[in-house]
Amino acid sequence: MFDPEKFVNESIEKLKTDIDGTAIIACSGGVDSTVAAVLVARAIGDRLYGVHVDTGYMRKNESKEVAELLRDMGVNLQVAEAAEEFSKELEGAVEPEAKRKAIGHTFIRIFDRYAKDIDAKYLVQGTIAPDWIESGGDLRDVIKSHHNVGALPKDMNLKLVEPLRDLYKDEVRKVGRYLGISISEKQPFPGPGLAIRIIGEPTLEKAEIVREACFIVEEELELAAKEGKMELPWQYFAVLTPIQTVGVQGDVRAYGYTVCVRAVQSIDGMTAAYSKIPHEVLEKISIRITNTMPDKINRVVYDITNKPPGTIEWE
Amino acid sequence: MKIFVVDNGGQWTHREWRVLKYLDVETEIIPNTTPFEDLDVDGLILSGGAPRIGEEALMLGNSGDYLDKAEFPIMGICVGAQFMALYYGGTAGPATVPEFGKTSVIIEEENELFEGVISPFQVWESHNDEVKIMPDTFKNFAHSKDCAHQAFAHKEKPFYGVQFHPEVEHTEYGEDIFKNFIKICAKYKK
Repeated sequence: MFDPEKFVNESIEKLKTDIDGTAIIACSGGVDSTVAAVLVARAIGDRLYGVHVDTGYMRKNESKEVAELLRDMGVNLQVAEAAEEFSKELEGAVEPEAKRKAIGHTFIRIFDRYAKDIDAKYLVQGTIAPDWIESGGDLRDVIKSHHNVGALPKDMNLKLVEPLRDLYKDEVRKVGRYLGISISEKQPFPGPGLAIRIIGEPTLEKAEIVREACFIVEEELELAAKEGKMELPWQYFAVLTPIQTVGVQGDVRAYGYTVCVRAVQSIDGMTAAYSKIPHEVLEKISIRITNTMPDKINRVVYDITNKPPGTIEWE
Repeated sequence: MKIFVVDNGGQWTHREWRVLKYLDVETEIIPNTTPFEDLDVDGLILSGGAPRIGEEALMLGNSGDYLDKAEFPIMGICVGAQFMALYYGGTAGPATVPEFGKTSVIIEEENELFEGVISPFQVWESHNDEVKIMPDTFKNFAHSKDCAHQAFAHKEKPFYGVQFHPEVEHTEYGEDIFKNFIKICAKYKK
């Protein structure tokens, strides 16, 4: 079995020898990068500087909450407000790989700037096994270029340190619990954020729609799980599709976008089964999304695909 | 106990490594170009992977050499299993019905590899190709609705092939199948 205590002790020893100067860590506020931050801080102390990037494609209130949480945990954190920079890079990016590469390159450009300021040589990332597996290379096919692996620029100056590379999410959570990290159970959220939950070209306007839809899906499913109506899925969110359909609202024709709800059960993200959400809960989500954004959304569908053949996120 | 995983570029190669590690086996993921002479192991897993068995069997590197020379057990998974059947004179090619995700497997005949597994059982699949004709030296012992060759074994050597993926969480009895393979390796251990 996996022994988090042994993993932590061995990792700290290795990090002490691997990092001989100052390092910055890319903190999204998710489980992986938070666990990596605490682990590396235990090894090199105040030589570690955290950078959280607000890409403009984060969830509701996320960047603010993440910054508070990481500072509470003693991470020396800077927040990069980069919504405009990302939005510009994503102009005209439609194909998922093009989006992921644009996002990966923008992240590194920002980290490079911060690294120069503090003369850091190392970039710590919370990369886990599925990130590099799905990013492909040699014999392995590229399923999706994760922003922290396959979407990195070839000419980057910073040396990568990835202490969680051989772990899956369930193991990272075990390490997180062992280290006393309060957000160890938080659901996964991809680095490219809401930009890959908007099918087609992402815009900040569309980000507003999918952000609200994700918020509703999260709130309703967490409530239903708390009330014992269902098991909380492993990952659950909304996708904004470019499909427009005809509706009728107040005796008037509507022509709005379609939102898809996605929720899956998994252990490690490498296989997944779609969640069997009770119909009453799905219905509540559908009514709330269409009534909250009546001029944008008039249809809600549920994704019933397992992985494989689907992946968890749509892009 | 030392069992290495030969990497044929699968999405779940690293999962095979994880399952073995959890079962206290000494394990490493190795490139399929590793010379046989460099292997000091009690067993091998030939992983699945992206190469298509019809046109790209050569991408499976030294896998044939391992089958020629090994005196220890080998378990092929997905394309690793297809390669095994092909190498011993069977045929493999595009599946009549490719299977992705959840499938039910029916055991036709008892086998050491499936000891304790109750038929039918739920497995997770991900294959475009399949074994078409089983070589005479092999015995097939499980199938699914759409795929006749889900599990097979060499009649004399300790070589096994499974089309489905025992290494992923959603496959029932996956860990048991690995435990059985480890037991078989233990029997052959010198």
